[in-house]
Amino acid sequence: MGSNRTGWLLLTPTLVILGVFGILPFIYVLWVAFHQWNAFGANPYMIYNGADNFRRLVFDTEFLESIWFTFQFGFFAVVSEIVLGYFLAQFLMRDFPGKAVFRTLHTLPLIVAPIVVGSVWRLMMTPSIGIIPYFLDAWFGYQLNIGSNAGAAFVVTVIMDIWHWTPLVTLTLLAAIVALPKDPFEQAQIDGANRWQIFWHITLPMIRPAILATVFIRLMDALRTVDEIWMLTGGGPGSATRYIGLHIWKVVFPKTDYGYGSAISVIVLYLTLVLCWLLYVGLVAPRNGRRT
Amino acid sequence: MRKSNPLLMTLFWLLLSIATLFPIYWLFVISVKPAVDLFTAPSVILDSFYWNNYAKVLTDDTLRRYMLNSVIISSGNAVLVTVLAFMACYALSRYDLAGKENIFFWTITNRMAPAAVFLLPFFLLFTQVFAIGDFRLYDTRIGMILLYCTFNLPFAIWTLRPTIDAIPRELDEAATVDGASSWQVITEIVFPLARPGLAVTLILTWVFAWNEFLLAATLTSFNARTITTGLSEYVTTTGTEWGTMASIAIITLIPAIVVFAVVQRHIVAGLTFGAVKE
Amino acid sequence: MNMRLRMGMVALVAGLMASTAPAFADFWSDAGAKFKGVTLHGVTESTPPSNYIKDVLAPEFEEKTGIKVEIETTSWDQMYDKAIKDMEAKTGIYDMIYIEQDIVYAYLARNFLVDVTQSLKDDPSLKAPGFDESHFTTFANYFRGENGDLFGVPMEAFIKIYLYRKDLFEDPKIQEAFKAKTGKDLAPAKTHEDYTQIAEFFTEYGKENGLDLWGTTAQAHTGHPASWYEYVESVAPTFGVYNWGINAEKNYAATVENGGSMNSDEAKAALKYWLHLRDIAPPESAASTWTEVASTFAAGRAAQGLVYGENAAWIASDAEKSKVVDKVGVALPPVSDGVMADAESGKGYIGYYDGGAFGLPVTSKNRDAALLFLQYIGQDSVQSGWAVAAPRITNTATYDDPAVKEMDARLGGYYTMLKDEGKLFAGAPPFPFHAQVREVCASIFYKILTGQIGPDEGLDQMAQATEKELTNLGYRK
Repeated sequence: MGSNRTGWLLLTPTLVILGVFGILPFIYVLWVAFHQWNAFGANPYMIYNGADNFRRLVFDTEFLESIWFTFQFGFFAVVSEIVLGYFLAQFLMRDFPGKAVFRTLHTLPLIVAPIVVGSVWRLMMTPSIGIIPYFLDAWFGYQLNIGSNAGAAFVVTVIMDIWHWTPLVTLTLLAAIVALPKDPFEQAQIDGANRWQIFWHITLPMIRPAILATVFIRLMDALRTVDEIWMLTGGGPGSATRYIGLHIWKVVFPKTDYGYGSAISVIVLYLTLVLCWLLYVGLVAPRNGRRT
Repeated sequence: MRKSNPLLMTLFWLLLSIATLFPIYWLFVISVKPAVDLFTAPSVILDSFYWNNYAKVLTDDTLRRYMLNSVIISSGNAVLVTVLAFMACYALSRYDLAGKENIFFWTITNRMAPAAVFLLPFFLLFTQVFAIGDFRLYDTRIGMILLYCTFNLPFAIWTLRPTIDAIPRELDEAATVDGASSWQVITEIVFPLARPGLAVTLILTWVFAWNEFLLAATLTSFNARTITTGLSEYVTTTGTEWGTMASIAIITLIPAIVVFAVVQRHIVAGLTFGAVKE
Repeated sequence: MNMRLRMGMVALVAGLMASTAPAFADFWSDAGAKFKGVTLHGVTESTPPSNYIKDVLAPEFEEKTGIKVEIETTSWDQMYDKAIKDMEAKTGIYDMIYIEQDIVYAYLARNFLVDVTQSLKDDPSLKAPGFDESHFTTFANYFRGENGDLFGVPMEAFIKIYLYRKDLFEDPKIQEAFKAKTGKDLAPAKTHEDYTQIAEFFTEYGKENGLDLWGTTAQAHTGHPASWYEYVESVAPTFGVYNWGINAEKNYAATVENGGSMNSDEAKAALKYWLHLRDIAPPESAASTWTEVASTFAAGRAAQGLVYGENAAWIASDAEKSKVVDKVGVALPPVSDGVMADAESGKGYIGYYDGGAFGLPVTSKNRDAALLFLQYIGQDSVQSGWAVAAPRITNTATYDDPAVKEMDARLGGYYTMLKDEGKLFAGAPPFPFHAQVREVCASIFYKILTGQIGPDEGLDQMAQATEKELTNLGYRK
């Protein structure tokens, strides 16, 4: 159907925009990554230094720590969001009183800007006088202090992320579930399949691309998070919540270390790419025969 | 599959909504408390209201301008992105283009970039490359609308693709056989069926654009400044103006809720479409 | 009255005053006539003094000269990032930028700024009659280049002072209890030992009486450089460790072996003293930057503490934000033996003198018009309204103004202290690598705060990391 020219034509605007705003800046960053460049160094100009920045990375414990914390953060947040979001999307397929209202209420966190989310959570979590630590202490005698307890701070960042972004998962999965053809389900019910079998053999394979897309988006965004964490903990206590997005931000903004910051970004980009590619190839491509 | 008690469902969502809404409720509480009460033992129930923050915010022309910018930029970007992504997904789904799966995967890589470092090339692009005479992309709404495509287009393409893939090809083929042009197939067959997906894409891209902070903070200054960056003005070294910030945040929820309510109807439309055959 | 409303009122008054006193009005309209159609762009942090420029001074200037002024107020990090990107890329977006005292050396080293003194000499027609460099307080010296010329017009200045609760310190019952427990009279501390003793006393007192009261504040955030700043700017100097312990004369050495003092015994004693205070401070201290320290104090949760002057002002006077209005006193921070002598002789200092100026980037495309604006905000005549709206003083003419004197009384003599004892305080050391070293030190400092490393070991690591970073940056040869 149609000629491929029409296809390319439809694709062109996307390719042009992403080319200009995606590839050009990337090339620039890649170029900078091979230079020593700090605007306030003794020599403030770019000096080519080969792969020195990358060599430095391998031994940079701060960077490695940050990657490890980020990975944990991404894992817990994204897995919880996907599971929760999937069930909520399924629930929204049923009929119950007040559904439309609840669906809208559920999506409200999405429209609160991350910088505001960080601020509110910071006030809610202020040790000893924020509402959450205050009542945890009053009811359970537990002293929640995100300023001194690294584990608690980590958990709070994960919960904040779940609170903020689960609605996104719910909506994207809802859209995917709505679009599913009904015949396979009817057939399965006639064949006497149970709920679990239907989920495992029919629903899951059919919405796998949508789940993957959602996982990608959430994972990437979790890896890039800056504003919320910056407002909530500033990366502390110590480096417990200094996730890679924030880490890069600290290298590039206050330290003005453009060269090293670019190198970190390139590596992070590469790691994300590999991770996503593995997920992609492992989960979607073989089934659809989509490999090129 | 759907034998659960509807009332039980309602109860579940009621509890969930309380949890979901609590931080937003708390945002409201902060907005109606004088600063002096924020650092004392909290109580869940509000006993008095202090409206000065709102009085201050609602009479501020600058904030109104920021708000307008935000609405224009996010709406412009969401519409542009949704249209482009719809076209791109249709192309990827229906045509046999060389290397299309690689292109598909490549699009998402544009969202992976950690923003902080890319601000510098964006800044140069906006001030020096796209500068014709006195015109610069820097600090313009159109600049932000285009720039937000870098993270929204990949998202839109990836969320829309499954929807479009799921629309049976037989439908377009049948229409083509009946003499419909590509344009007609797209607008009359695929578009209506993709509506729930499109609605979700539109909403979420709008949300991402609305909430974006780092890029807008660096690449706008006076004319195209958005409300999200305006909010950061209240976090200062002489103290954060929690109340003002919270009241602005509460006010910004209003346009967002309107957009949500309008667009979500189309997800509902999709739901009915799906439910008919049930 | 809150800051913004109050500023609006002041604007009104200032506007009225301006219309009744057209002494130099001619100069401004004549000078402005040359720049018809010019729009000046400035970027600054959205603090009360800067907001006063945006809301009051800029519109006034516009009216008098016909030159349009757009001031962008934004957050602290954003402001730096934007100004630096603009100057680095030579885009010429900004005609005025805010320069905090701690970054001026970096800007001067990069030749980012226009020499204001020289430019006015080169073109006397631009020189405003109401502007006189010599009227600035000594704080202006921080913005002078090696040639003694001014590279920025000071617009705000504060000292970080020792703030205490007068009502508690003067309560006879508390005085008696303190005497019974320590054998001393309760008075603002002069030494670290006294300060600790008072802090311990009040924390215990709060606990015994079931009050939400602790003996001291601590700006001890575990993920924000505010904590490191409190240590190097306000605590270490009072133990005799100056300039962050970096010795510029010895090739920017930081370790004791190489001639620095970042990990000296004094530095270690200072850190342990402060960590102890942190432990008896309110629980929110572990998540406190300057913002929360001020809020803690304003909520009446601390009996004493080190507080930035700009915050001390509203804590003492703004009932909408503070529960301890008219209940606070100011004093000089407690110090070790010999430090006060050091400070008086100019060898050392006892605390932080913070502030900023408006500067003119060399990349500006409207240099002359911007020079007019800088002079406008530096004039004697605009200072007092500004000082009342936002508690800052950079011009000696300000102190004697009746409105300022009245304010001074409310602030427990803060302005008097700024005037008389300001010389004992100092800004950040003259390093062009301020933020770079800060970030390196701070991330180790956070680990000291969380207990991941001990204070002695942590300071050793900080000193070594600092030297390494300075070598990387090329300052340490």
